[in-house]
Amino acid sequence: MINYFSRIANNTKAILQGHWITLKYMFKPAVTIHYPDEKLVPFEKFRGALLFDQNVCISCNLCVKACPSNCIQLENAKNETGKKIAKVEWYSIDFGKCNFCRLCEEACPTKPKSVWHSLDYEVIFVKRDEMVRCWKKDFPFVGRYWDRLTQSFKEAEGQVNIHDVQPRRS
Amino acid sequence: MADPDLRQPLVARRLPGRRRDARGHPARPRRDRSRRRRAREAGDQLFALLASFAAQKGVPPAAVDAAWVAIKVLIVLHVILINGLWSIWWERKISAHIQSRVGPTYAGSPKGWNFHGWAQTAIDGIKLLLKEDITPAAADKWVHALAPGLVVAPCIVAFAPVLFGDGLAAANLDIGVLYIFAFAGISVIGVVMAGWASGNKYSLLGGLRGAAQIVSYELPRGFSVVPVIMFAGSLDLQTISNAQAGYWHGILPKWFIFYPVVGQLAFVIFLIASVAETNRTPFDIPEAESELVSGFHTEYSGMKWSIFFLAEYAYVLLGSFLLATFFLGGGASPINAAPFTLIPSWMWMLAKAMLMMFVFLWIRWTLPRFRVDQLMDFTWKFLLPWSFVNIAVAGLYLAFWLK
Repeated sequence: MINYFSRIANNTKAILQGHWITLKYMFKPAVTIHYPDEKLVPFEKFRGALLFDQNVCISCNLCVKACPSNCIQLENAKNETGKKIAKVEWYSIDFGKCNFCRLCEEACPTKPKSVWHSLDYEVIFVKRDEMVRCWKKDFPFVGRYWDRLTQSFKEAEGQVNIHDVQPRRS
Repeated sequence: MADPDLRQPLVARRLPGRRRDARGHPARPRRDRSRRRRAREAGDQLFALLASFAAQKGVPPAAVDAAWVAIKVLIVLHVILINGLWSIWWERKISAHIQSRVGPTYAGSPKGWNFHGWAQTAIDGIKLLLKEDITPAAADKWVHALAPGLVVAPCIVAFAPVLFGDGLAAANLDIGVLYIFAFAGISVIGVVMAGWASGNKYSLLGGLRGAAQIVSYELPRGFSVVPVIMFAGSLDLQTISNAQAGYWHGILPKWFIFYPVVGQLAFVIFLIASVAETNRTPFDIPEAESELVSGFHTEYSGMKWSIFFLAEYAYVLLGSFLLATFFLGGGASPINAAPFTLIPSWMWMLAKAMLMMFVFLWIRWTLPRFRVDQLMDFTWKFLLPWSFVNIAVAGLYLAFWLK
């Protein structure tokens, strides 16, 4: 009998406690953000889309060797006499293979890093060709892709560039 | 019904001083039983206006009565439909804020006034109207199409005697409480039909569970109101509301929820059973997403599906108004002071009903789902015995306290 009533009392108390908690949470501010209008800044070591800067790259092939999924390819530039110089002719990352592990950035010997993870999490690929990003002379940090239909380099269409989080580079 | 004296409210007959209206004035004279020509508040002034206008134009009184009934029916129908828009939006906002989200924000005018996504349900409704209405190949076509109607129609019919304020009801029924419970119980046939006709095992299980649950919870729901009916001495909602007028010591309103122990217990049992009747979350075993896809309306789409939801929210509104009428004093003011007692009764009624609707939503977004056996144990082994005890104690109150 006492057990019965104490059970009723305990359960009632638990239910009321639950309601009190939800009522308190109802008046707390929301933890969500309005995504396309407001953007969350990722934490510092976030591994976003890879960017590349061919002006500092010395074409040492360390990132190619470090990459566990073989997604990076590059070709040395040559001077007029046909001799290899410490510059890239072209550099490409296949984001279809990339697993965003940051080993390429850690392997990169230049300062600042010539390949690095930005904080951009809004990387979208609207076609398969776009997944292979290529960097040549005067290409932007996000690179361009080789469109097989028109046989030409094009700016990435799927890239959502509304996100202006500063890319990290050290 | 031979003795006319027996038809008067029980408590009111015993305690003439108790019959006071919300403003503390002595009660209006007893209602005579001629149905139409009764001097009442707002609604009857409107009717008088209509009647005098018709008399000028030489329209027969029967036509006036028919037009008046049509107006009342339209008003009640629109209360139900607009309640669908409002309460779904409110539920989404409340659930969002309880879960630390914000809910609908953008729907409305693209540039101008989109206050908290106020147009969300209207736009969803348009979407649902335009959606394809699929009847599964395995379905029993006629029963499948008829089921949503059979769920929503009794619900609309049950709104006839619901009190929206003092004297503001579409129909003044002497057996209003019985009528509402009887019609609300019919909807379960629609649920079972929907479950059976979909030709889907999940629907069938949902329909069966819905039938078992709704029929089981009908009992404590009905029995929990019996103390209220005993105190008020009538099944008429207006009489029940009037019986709660007045204040103890001029402060505490004489609402049935404030009757010690009996009132609170009846209130809680009625609230729990009402939530169970509407198949909402602690009791949403018939449409449990994790077990049955969405129960008896798995195979419904488009407008037929939304009619199920219209019925669900209409039952929430019905439960809210009944809670306000039975336990929260109907249109009476909670505070016995000038600015509050001057507010018209329909506003108090609406405020109380909305408060109770908030409680409905609050319960839904707080408690997890019952298991089927727990659900049945809860009503048969807990709610029903305690509602019997409640009736017995209410009898003692009537015998010794409220003499």
